[in-house]
Amino acid sequence: MKQHPPFPDRPGKEEKGTFPPALLAALNAAGLNTDGLLWCCSGDMNNDGAFQDAWLCFDAQGLYTACGSAKVDRAKRRGKKLETTYTVETISSVPLTDLSELSTERYVSTGRLIGEENGLTVSLARFTLGKLAAFDTFARVFNTYRETGEIHPPDAHGKPEHRCRKCGGPCPPGMEVCPKCSKNSATAVRLFRFFGGYVPQIAVILFFMLLSAAVTVFIPQISTRSLFDNILANPDGAPAAELLKALGVLVGSIFGIRALNTVLTVIQQYVTATVMPQVTYDIKVKIFAAMQRLSVNFYSSKQTGSLMERIIQDANNIYWFFIEGVPSIIIESATVVGILIIMFVMNWRLSLIVTAAVPLIGLTLYFGDKLFRGMHHGNFLFRSKLSSMVSDNINGQRVIKAFAKEDEEFGRFSDVNEKYRRAELKLALAEATLIPSVEAAVIILSAVILGMGGVYVVQGKMTAGTLLSYVVYLEMLRQPMEFLSWCANWWSRCADSAQRVFEVCDAEPEITEKENAVTFENLRGEIEINELEFEYEPARPVIKKLSLHINPGQMLGIVGKTGAGKTTIANLIARLYDAKEGSVKIDGVDVRDLKLSELRRNIGLVSQDIYLFIGTIADNIRYAKPDASMDEVIAAAKAASAHDFIMKLPDAYETRVGAGGQKLSGGERQRISIARTIIQNPKILILDEATAAMDTETERNIQNSLAKLKNGRTTIAIAHRLSTLRDADELAVISEGTIVEQGPFRDLIERKGEFYRQYKIQQEALKAVGIADDSDAPPDAPPDGEEDDAK
Amino acid sequence: MNPSTQLSAASITPETLSTEYVSPAVCSFYETPGGFLGMRLNGEDYPRVVLTRALPLSLPESYLCITDVDRKELCIIENAADFPEDQQALIRKELSQRYFCPDVTAIIAIKEKMGHFYFDVKVGDYPMSFTIRDLAKNIRCTDDQIILTDVDGNRFLISDIGRIDKKSRRKLEPYLY
Repeated sequence: MKQHPPFPDRPGKEEKGTFPPALLAALNAAGLNTDGLLWCCSGDMNNDGAFQDAWLCFDAQGLYTACGSAKVDRAKRRGKKLETTYTVETISSVPLTDLSELSTERYVSTGRLIGEENGLTVSLARFTLGKLAAFDTFARVFNTYRETGEIHPPDAHGKPEHRCRKCGGPCPPGMEVCPKCSKNSATAVRLFRFFGGYVPQIAVILFFMLLSAAVTVFIPQISTRSLFDNILANPDGAPAAELLKALGVLVGSIFGIRALNTVLTVIQQYVTATVMPQVTYDIKVKIFAAMQRLSVNFYSSKQTGSLMERIIQDANNIYWFFIEGVPSIIIESATVVGILIIMFVMNWRLSLIVTAAVPLIGLTLYFGDKLFRGMHHGNFLFRSKLSSMVSDNINGQRVIKAFAKEDEEFGRFSDVNEKYRRAELKLALAEATLIPSVEAAVIILSAVILGMGGVYVVQGKMTAGTLLSYVVYLEMLRQPMEFLSWCANWWSRCADSAQRVFEVCDAEPEITEKENAVTFENLRGEIEINELEFEYEPARPVIKKLSLHINPGQMLGIVGKTGAGKTTIANLIARLYDAKEGSVKIDGVDVRDLKLSELRRNIGLVSQDIYLFIGTIADNIRYAKPDASMDEVIAAAKAASAHDFIMKLPDAYETRVGAGGQKLSGGERQRISIARTIIQNPKILILDEATAAMDTETERNIQNSLAKLKNGRTTIAIAHRLSTLRDADELAVISEGTIVEQGPFRDLIERKGEFYRQYKIQQEALKAVGIADDSDAPPDAPPDGEEDDAK
Repeated sequence: MNPSTQLSAASITPETLSTEYVSPAVCSFYETPGGFLGMRLNGEDYPRVVLTRALPLSLPESYLCITDVDRKELCIIENAADFPEDQQALIRKELSQRYFCPDVTAIIAIKEKMGHFYFDVKVGDYPMSFTIRDLAKNIRCTDDQIILTDVDGNRFLISDIGRIDKKSRRKLEPYLY
């Protein structure tokens, strides 16, 4: 059966615009002259939408589409790729002169390359989404070639394609080889590295545990064997007084050994208790630090519950396995070996039967591990969902109450909780089945040994004391074996947690700083945006070839409909995301070449999403400048029109806010966030709908304060309410990711274009509800009648 | 209460919330020479239209929104079955292209490594492989169907969980919720 290509891209050279030599030879053989090919791209569907290998390329004469198959021969061992055989079945071509611009369209699960052929829109290729980026590049290179006659490979700054070096499958950023191709032992090795700093402590724990185990192993030799064979059986016919004396020495020895064992255990547990909090602390710090490095994109793709679970539960799972589990495994394994050696010395025939049971235990462990791993993951998913649901419910309480949906919410919670219960039950039942089956095996073994040993005692091949101590040793085997059987489960829980922790630790931030990043001595605040292009997902452009220039100290207002791309521009200037093509320059330096801390320190962003951290109001205002004096905090709060409402709170600036703190209105929270930015004293201030949640009067107060702050800093204000942008030196109207109009307020009104249209709509809407807001009249605007006439 | 508020509250009735649907009498589809879907609506010709499902999971052939290529809405079809057979075929062809979603018939193996879930499945007779990250987000279960979304955004459908074999179900179950 043909192994159909998987959705993810196979390794190929098409991303660099060339085909592998074997494919070029196959295309040549099928009648296509490949000498002058300029750019190539591989697909995985034919133009009818069926899965098939397909290849697209163009040269100076035409664009060619070939369909066929690529058969990958793999080595029998480990499936290593040996060679690919290409069969070309069909080739179609379109003369370049007949084609105009190419573009890609993204559908729900596929994409399509579309072109204009002699004025008719035609579908040139279809592909799955894994190929979308490659086809998008193909279209760009083709279009540039048509315009300039030159081949320009995609911008080096563009988002890199994360593909595995070995298999070509998807690969997390920052890793050359995907998790599937990485070695199995890697998880265990990396886990041990977590404990690299605690080798002496772990060695001490191990030493005391081994000592304790050795003592335990020798106790039956004294307590059982000596008691029966030397005292109770009285082989030498010693007098009773001597026997009693020997018994006293024996009891004393047992007491001494037990006491020594207790002391060793106490020391070992003391060391464990001192190491324990430090290791957990370190693991949590490592995960938390890794999470702080990551870009905004990582957080928008993960549920909060799942991330919190990683920091708290996963760290604990790893800790318990390594601090409690690993030493115990070593000790218990050593105990098993020690007991078996003693048992072999005592009676090798019986011991052979005992060791025959070991593979049985091994198989149970192997299957247990497989079974438990999947179950633990299922439990983790339910637990995360339950956490997310609780957090969702708490945050949405007002809405729930407003719609009287408490019962439905309870029902929703109960459903998930019930599924979680079932999953827990399933796991508990599986554990309850596995562990007793190991126990049962040991019990059966004991019965067999007792029977056979009894025969040996009757035949005189073994003393009664030896048999009894042998049975005691067999019983002693039971506990370590139970423990070891449970370890499969323990290890699977730890490995499951470790995989999730490593995923966070390995994830590379998409926004990285260059090695020789530039720092500013004195930032002027000039912003230059050139041919900027950006998309959150391939073939869904949000910003399209946008160019903009803002002089130092100038205020630029950005207006446009919801979803036009206004906030994205702000995010790109602050480099929360990187542009796909084009550039954002500050004082002539590309933001990607700037030191990130320097850039962010100089850009103050007041966004639509306000977040106040747990702490006092003063702490929140001081967030960007922790050493700010109280004078500065009050001045910033006054500038943001926050001082008055803060002073009305019982604890004023010491009021606790954030989760569990004082409830503040949207406008109040927004004002604190503005004060936070003001205290930062940035050279570039971005106000993204900063005053949207406020009443007109407060908005005016803040605007007046911001107008004072404007001096000496570049300001970008994004707003729906056009009246808020009256003071802007320049306005840019954005529509579908591009600038459709630009100029001062008055010019735009006079131009009677898109801005004027939006301005009129807002004014008419206010009139319709009986509000005539004079503030919305532009400076020196013509009277209404004149505007209408002109219209 | 303010009379105007009373009036506006009274004016919101189920009748005022009704949506107008287009009927086959005024709307017909055709295939363009380039292989795209065109539409004639009230005598006007739209050489390329886009069909979007309002309820892609539960009612894939009802509540179909028809827009032009700039996604400006032209009309809504309540039910594709109201249209003649040949028209239904055109609608289905367009929808199947836009909502392409291979139906998984068996699960061969699911391997997990560092938060990545490697699925080896069968789509009909074809063995296929794909990778899923963040299961909570990318495995969506409805009453009897499951939609799996891989790292590239490709979707795979298990149209009836009861129809796949027991072995496949057992492999998938730990990852469903």
